Amino acid sequence: MPRAKDLDTIAPDDMVSAIPSVSVPKLKKHKKARSHSVETQRDASLPLNPSSPLKIAPLPSRSADLKYRQKVYELIKDKTAWPLSAFLARPKVFNFDGQNEDEEILLVLRRHWFTNLHWIFLTIVMLVGPMFLKYVPLLSSFSAKYQFVFILFWYLLTFAITFEHFLSWYFNVFIITEERVIDIDFYNLLDKKYSEAELAMIQDVTSKQGGVSQTVFDYGDVLIQTAAEIPVIKIDQIPNPNLIVQILQQMRGEERQEELEGRQK
Amino acid sequence: MTEIKRWLELVEKICVIIGTLVYLVFAVVIVRQVNSMSKIVHDKFNLILIVFSYFHLAFAILLLILAILLL
Repeated sequence: MPRAKDLDTIAPDDMVSAIPSVSVPKLKKHKKARSHSVETQRDASLPLNPSSPLKIAPLPSRSADLKYRQKVYELIKDKTAWPLSAFLARPKVFNFDGQNEDEEILLVLRRHWFTNLHWIFLTIVMLVGPMFLKYVPLLSSFSAKYQFVFILFWYLLTFAITFEHFLSWYFNVFIITEERVIDIDFYNLLDKKYSEAELAMIQDVTSKQGGVSQTVFDYGDVLIQTAAEIPVIKIDQIPNPNLIVQILQQMRGEERQEELEGRQK
Repeated sequence: MTEIKRWLELVEKICVIIGTLVYLVFAVVIVRQVNSMSKIVHDKFNLILIVFSYFHLAFAILLLILAILLL
């Protein structure tokens, strides 16, 4: 059957000759084990004859998203990985429920240490409180046995209040991984909230700082607007909010790059 | 008068025991809370926090026993 050469005169049922193309399998996302040296892939079922007219399309270069990732690493390179830090950069021990096996955690954020001062101060006051009982005899009407039980109860309560505040600080974390952001909030003893958004779903990131203490100690809020189910993720009183915005912008850039290159999510 | 005083002491003791019982429930909730939090977020100090919560529970039980026996 003669093939139509002129596209202007082509009929709907005419066969059109085309350069045979090879469908390049999309590269599976496996970020942790990324070897940025791999530039091309081919279908294993195809013949290995080098004179074959089939052309293997090169995969998009990864140098662009490597650049974004390097920038993120540079931004956090001098940050700490000490477990009790409010700004944990690439922690070695930390992981969370629902984390993928090969998902790298870039940052773990907790509230700035300055926000803990109120309960640390309260703890000190409660600890020294019973020492003033000899000046303010509140328990003098009770027998010595009752006084002993009351004081023991007081110190246990002090421990419980301190412990609760510490737990609230320690476990309320905001996590940035290479794929998503996760906000884990424990409001009180029984209520908790778990929000997450893929980096690709993030639309806008803004930081907010106000007041003397936030300006002096460089902490504030970060608002992340997403196209996900949860429209806004608010992270309260975290250190270096402007740096977080920069990091998220870099990560979004990396995701956009991957989308443009058509890599599989 | 001594009868009234005896009744008052009994009421005091019951109040203290109820208070320590409530506190014991609170200590149990803290243990549960730390365990559930540790399942979601895993970090270096989780084990220490769990041990602390159990120590706190042990002291709450001790307080209840003291309230029952000593008072």
